[in-house]
Amino acid sequence: MKNVLMILLFLASTSVFAQRITVTGTVTDAGGNPLPGATVQVKGSTIGSLTDPEGKYSITVAGPEATLVFSFVGYNPREVQVLNQTVINMVLMENIKGLEEVVVVGYGTQKKLNLTAAVDQVTNETLENRPVPNVSQGLQGVLPNLNIKLLDGKPIQAPSFNIRGTTSIGQGGSALVLIDGVEGDPSLLNPNDIESVSMLKDAAAASIYGARGAFGVVLITTKNPTKGKTSITFTSNTANKRPVAVPNYVTDGYTWVRMFTEAFINGDGSFPQNINKTLKVSQAYLDEFKRRVESGEPYNTVEIDPVTGEYVYYGSTDFYAELYKKSLMAYDNNLSISGSGDKTNYLISGRYLRQDGLFRYNTDDYNMKNFRAKGSIEVFPWLTIDNNTDYSQMQYHNPMNVGEGSGIWRNIADEGHPNGTMFNPDGTLTMVSVYNVGDLWYGKNGIDTKKGIFKNTTGLTATFLDDKLRVKGDFTFLNTNNNYKRKRVQVPYSNKPGVIAYVGTTTNDITEERAETQYLATNIYAEYENTFNENHYLKFMLGYNYEQSTYQRLSAQRNGIIYEDADDLNLALGQSITTGGGWEKWLILGGFSRLNYSYKDRYLLEVNARYDGSSKFPSDQRFALFPSVSGGWRISKEAFWNVSPKIISNLKLRGSYGSLGNGNISSYIYQEQFGISQSSYILGGVRPQYTSRPSVLPDGLTWETSTTTDFGLDFSMLSDRLNFVGDYYIRNTTDMFTIGLTLPAVFGATPPKGNYADLKTKGWEISISWRDKFNVGSKPLNYDVRFTLADNKSTITRYNNPDKLLSDYYEGMVIGEIWGYTTEGFFIDQADVDSHAKQSPQMRASPTNLWFPGDIKLLDANNDGFVNIGTNRVSDPGDRKIIGNKSPRYTFGLNLGADWNNFFFSAFLMGVGKQQWYPSTESEIFWGQYNRPYNNIPVFHLGNMWTPDNTDAYFPRTMSRAASNATSRELGVPQTKYLQNVAYIKLRNIQLGYNLPQQVASKIHANAVQVYVSGEDLWTYSPLYKIVGRGHIDVENTGPSDQMFTSSNAGDGYNYPMLKSVSFGLSVTF
Amino acid sequence: MKKQYLWFILLGLLLAGCELEQTPVSTTSKSAVFGSESGLKLYSNSFYGILPQGNTRQDAMSDYLAVKTVPTFVQENAFAPTLSSGWDWGDLRNINYFIVNNKDPRVPLSVRKHYTGIARFFRAYFYYDKVIRFGNVPWINKPLSVSDPELYGGRDNRTLVMDSVLADINYACENISVTNDNTRSLVTKWVAYAFKSRLCLFEGTFRKYHTELGLTSSANAWLNEAANAAKKVMDEGGYSLNTSGGPGKSYRQVFINPSPLGNEVLLASVMDLALNELHDANWYWTSGTYGDKASFIRTFINTYLKLDGTPFTNTPGYETMTFMEEVKDRDLRLKQTIRLGDYKRISGGVEIPAPPVFSYTFTGYQPIKWVLDDMYYDTRDLNINSIPLFRYAEVLLNYAEAKAELGTLTDADWAATVGQLRARGGITNGLTTKPTVIDLYLQSVYFPDISDPVILEIRRERGIELCLEGFRFPDILRWKRGELMNLEWNGFYVPQLVTPLDLNEDGIPDVAFYQGTKPSPAVSGVTYVDVSPTVGGKTNPQLLKNDTYGELTWMNNIKRKWEDKMYYYPIPQTDLITNPNLGQNPGW
Repeated sequence: MKNVLMILLFLASTSVFAQRITVTGTVTDAGGNPLPGATVQVKGSTIGSLTDPEGKYSITVAGPEATLVFSFVGYNPREVQVLNQTVINMVLMENIKGLEEVVVVGYGTQKKLNLTAAVDQVTNETLENRPVPNVSQGLQGVLPNLNIKLLDGKPIQAPSFNIRGTTSIGQGGSALVLIDGVEGDPSLLNPNDIESVSMLKDAAAASIYGARGAFGVVLITTKNPTKGKTSITFTSNTANKRPVAVPNYVTDGYTWVRMFTEAFINGDGSFPQNINKTLKVSQAYLDEFKRRVESGEPYNTVEIDPVTGEYVYYGSTDFYAELYKKSLMAYDNNLSISGSGDKTNYLISGRYLRQDGLFRYNTDDYNMKNFRAKGSIEVFPWLTIDNNTDYSQMQYHNPMNVGEGSGIWRNIADEGHPNGTMFNPDGTLTMVSVYNVGDLWYGKNGIDTKKGIFKNTTGLTATFLDDKLRVKGDFTFLNTNNNYKRKRVQVPYSNKPGVIAYVGTTTNDITEERAETQYLATNIYAEYENTFNENHYLKFMLGYNYEQSTYQRLSAQRNGIIYEDADDLNLALGQSITTGGGWEKWLILGGFSRLNYSYKDRYLLEVNARYDGSSKFPSDQRFALFPSVSGGWRISKEAFWNVSPKIISNLKLRGSYGSLGNGNISSYIYQEQFGISQSSYILGGVRPQYTSRPSVLPDGLTWETSTTTDFGLDFSMLSDRLNFVGDYYIRNTTDMFTIGLTLPAVFGATPPKGNYADLKTKGWEISISWRDKFNVGSKPLNYDVRFTLADNKSTITRYNNPDKLLSDYYEGMVIGEIWGYTTEGFFIDQADVDSHAKQSPQMRASPTNLWFPGDIKLLDANNDGFVNIGTNRVSDPGDRKIIGNKSPRYTFGLNLGADWNNFFFSAFLMGVGKQQWYPSTESEIFWGQYNRPYNNIPVFHLGNMWTPDNTDAYFPRTMSRAASNATSRELGVPQTKYLQNVAYIKLRNIQLGYNLPQQVASKIHANAVQVYVSGEDLWTYSPLYKIVGRGHIDVENTGPSDQMFTSSNAGDGYNYPMLKSVSFGLSVTF
Repeated sequence: MKKQYLWFILLGLLLAGCELEQTPVSTTSKSAVFGSESGLKLYSNSFYGILPQGNTRQDAMSDYLAVKTVPTFVQENAFAPTLSSGWDWGDLRNINYFIVNNKDPRVPLSVRKHYTGIARFFRAYFYYDKVIRFGNVPWINKPLSVSDPELYGGRDNRTLVMDSVLADINYACENISVTNDNTRSLVTKWVAYAFKSRLCLFEGTFRKYHTELGLTSSANAWLNEAANAAKKVMDEGGYSLNTSGGPGKSYRQVFINPSPLGNEVLLASVMDLALNELHDANWYWTSGTYGDKASFIRTFINTYLKLDGTPFTNTPGYETMTFMEEVKDRDLRLKQTIRLGDYKRISGGVEIPAPPVFSYTFTGYQPIKWVLDDMYYDTRDLNINSIPLFRYAEVLLNYAEAKAELGTLTDADWAATVGQLRARGGITNGLTTKPTVIDLYLQSVYFPDISDPVILEIRRERGIELCLEGFRFPDILRWKRGELMNLEWNGFYVPQLVTPLDLNEDGIPDVAFYQGTKPSPAVSGVTYVDVSPTVGGKTNPQLLKNDTYGELTWMNNIKRKWEDKMYYYPIPQTDLITNPNLGQNPGW
């Protein structure tokens, strides 16, 4: 980077100008009023000037062939070639903003002003200059009601896209994501290739995609070749990243052991003999540790017990400091070449992204390579053939622990005791560390994933009848490869000098998996567009779509790796061999059509219909018709509308209605299947394959249907400086395919699914933007602000639960609601315990089942003398009520942008206005030793636990297992006191950049050079932090455990942290 | 131009013709599974998960083991329907689905009957478990449909259920055609008969002693079935006790051999390192940090006879005998069950003395029945010893007990059963004629209501021979002796504080007990155990009975209290809410 700057400086000092012409003039509006601050720029360069308060300008150009571009906010830009003129006066026409703006919709584009359905779009600016590891992560928060929930901060994290809240509690369903018209994985896309991202929110917009679009569609469109001469753009970004939050745990060994024994005695019933699996503990040990601390003797030592000869640890270890680097680097380089000739154009781009791992040992390196080649040839004046090729590959190394097998965070919770150490004096790993970071230090175990796509689309566009009839066709094949390799070798540790033991001896295996999805898609559609009698505009489209996908998988696992560095299946010689296959194929085909009609641009109508067929449904249910209709009324176009465009320039009402079937189901679920697996028992000398009863099949199933009604209001005010788009919608998902009534256990199987449930989601989203400019130091400062706010709430309107048991969904239930008790406080004394309603047997305070002062006191809301769940029905919930809701509400985004004198600035804030979280019982990060006694202790617990001298503490008296649902303890039950407010606001991105003056850029023959600094996720605020402190829990990362090792929801926060970053970037265009 | 249109139309037609019918390729179909013998075998492999595979800790809740923490079930006022579990019926549906669908005429009838026999064996096994746990349960013999009224039915009477179980096991005995499986991992005709003797003995004695059921009159029929089934195995099965290692080793060989010892073992949970099928017995039974840290209580150890066949408790002063003294001259099965004397372990190929260690045991009687000698196996799941699930010794004991309860046990029966077992344990007397003298210790401590010396001795024998194999808690239930769960958890006798004890008499002191501050200087190699009444302000669960001397006691501060309701587990609360017709077991 330094070298580049040196060259720039060198070139800047040696340049010479030739044949310069100075042009002057005045820029005015149509009424002859001067426009101060208008931009006059030499086309294709950054040479520019601004008009003064009288609208006058002066600019020097390289020669007569130069072209000047005049622009001003709110006016249509104009271009003129200088030739031999020295005075050029320019009149700019006010633009009705948006007239030109075109948004991408299904199988086409549409003027924004004529939209009748709910469609939103952002352009590539949203993703520019941001060091996000993949596109899915970059799109979080940018569009209102496009909900992307990152489960953790891993660079490979590729969450599904949700539009407008809960879709279906049956088959589920995410938004359909199409990249250049074909289903694709956005996490494998080069962000630099993206031109725009469009979101089709309502049924009217999405119905053209039929069953797959039941819950909205996201259309990602890649850039097209630039017109004119060849241009080359090189961009580079170097980022320094670090975790948003690293848990703030007690790391002092003595403090930890002391609190461990106290929690253990109260919660497990006796003085502990050991600390989970790896350490021994006794009163004598604790006393000795105390003596060392109090005498000021340095500890953090390992000694040898003279009796047993085993190591004794007096450690103070911060295992998170051993786990994470302080920071890591990520490098993103992208080169694209684009140009066009008479009849051809092309764009080629390549990118290499490398992100170093976060872990100190056996680190999780990530890299992604992207290549794209896109081009077209005009074969005849009426026929163009284009081709778009995309090749991408992503690789990630995920270290793992063989000791327990689950994610490292969970293992630190279970065995990362601060009084242990990483190493023994002889350099061997300790038993404590071998179960967590020690395995990473050993560095041989892990999972390598490699994901790649190869995609090619060939298309043609033919135009007839003076461009009134267009026919388009395309054919795509897409191969997606998912490869997985896992290696688990045993790891040595020592409890006694000279004696080596191992963890992971029973696995010692290599697993490889190859999965490939071959996908074919073809579309053919024709579009006729014409205007009759000037007032009647008509567009009609008719098309056909066919897709097929074939998934195949092969996996092999074998144990007995002959030495620990062996890396190939050939070197695994054990007899425990597991092989697996896998196959899924589906086909869909559909005919679709769309009619657009408008009268005088005033009354707008759109009708869509798709007839869809899917192999996933039984033959009598295979085909279905999905129609939709939408209309708009542009009041501002009415003759009676006399409001000046300077006040209100555009006012439109929209409405839509449509109904779609949900095709998001897995194949073959209507068929009785006998799966084959390998037995985990030895029968007849082998571990044989077995099969067992099939799932209980549902009968008489039909499609889930989602019906959306949408009302929209768009207006523009104050010469288009203020723009507003708002939508209100109701989406009814009916006949949801849910498991039936909770059946008595004697049924012996999961109850079969049926079309048993309905769901109503109501929501709205608004987007307000403001753009203007003013002068600062005689130079204009352009700025813009965009605020978006969205909300949705889903209610079950039908469910097969006549008794309204709270163990299941029920009619009237709001998705996400949390039932819990009301916390009255803590018991003050024994009399308080004795006089209070009995909390046993519903829950227990300790193994002895006795309640003591300092235990949680819950409200006996129904005054029956017991605190319990009643019959667990809505009508009899015991002493519980709805205390909160875990669904995010009022999600918002705020974009700020400004540029001045070649500087540019932008900021993007986002957040959630209302959301609650009841920490799950296994969550060490919140409950500490209230869950398992050997868990780490969050620092915010210190001094915050009830004692007779500290009765105002936040937590009850110290006790293990209190937050454990397995034993029905007092914190394991949701209750008001510990319900957390996890609303938040986050500065997702902030950037400041500078466009080098053309004089400087041209010295290296560049047209434009830009440098910037960009910060990602630098600041967050949440009311949660008032309880837990800053930097301990990341409010966005309270999600489930590491998904690579478990799909369970147990253990909020046992996962990869989100990363914040500061990056420096450069972009050069030639 | 026309050509172009044609091209589109052609392509469109081509694709429209594609068949949307897709069938799964990576799974198989009902017809394939039930249409061939290999398909039936494939399905029958799924039944074996019902067996307690790889489990050596089934007695963790029993009267004779002191464990790390008192099981919630027997703790006073601790257990409730909210904590209950076990009302799971998934395995039954899998079996019923098989039985109902195994009708394909393409498979020969005898083959179908064999596999249905296997399935009904497992159904009997499934129900046997359920009846032990819950008493009355619904009898279901088909895969229920969603609308079946049986779903919401009540529980069936014990008689109906057990008669159906008997029909199942009879069918299995008659139709399972395989009589020998050398791997001892598959269900054979003899396994079915052995199981029949087990379940019929359970039911017969349960009805006999649980007089409140009003089923005593039917007890003898069940006991006859038990005796006959056991006799069938004894007469025709071709099994015998393992005696290959002589009296001092033969017993334990059955539990530590990698492959099941085929002469004695009928069915086992088979382990194999090469197939990566291992269990965690060594880890569980030796680790100071993992598992229940289960050791025997002294009261039970006292029931091991002396080698001359007389009760140990007849020895004067037995109460104050030290560990070193009391373990001498005893039934040789004792030294094959717990660490004592010259028991050695192997560390890095070298034999090392292995006295009981107090980082593990609370009583001093540390089990070794399932533990491999080599310490290599001590960390995690590494054990390669197969675990017998049905063995001949049990069949002999089932036979003896059924006959004794019927009052028809002869001297010959005694010699063929208990006599053989005691002989293998090195006992020299009382092997050929049935006992006539009541052991008052056994009677007063364990079975005060039994006055038949034969029954008493058979119960002693069952406790000793089958300990740690998962029989104890069901035995206590059927004998209606739940109160045994209240037995004090006591350990060996400690004459005084501080003086180290040399438990294996190898000249190296092993353990010393103290109060307050640890003796200084500490004797090298000695484990010091604090038996102060309180440690760190909390009650110390590890005490001496007379404060500074006497038997060790463990966790007697946590009260255990047996109540009659505990003969059955409560129906879990959630299941009762889903189907209130089930009704709760009395007392819960």
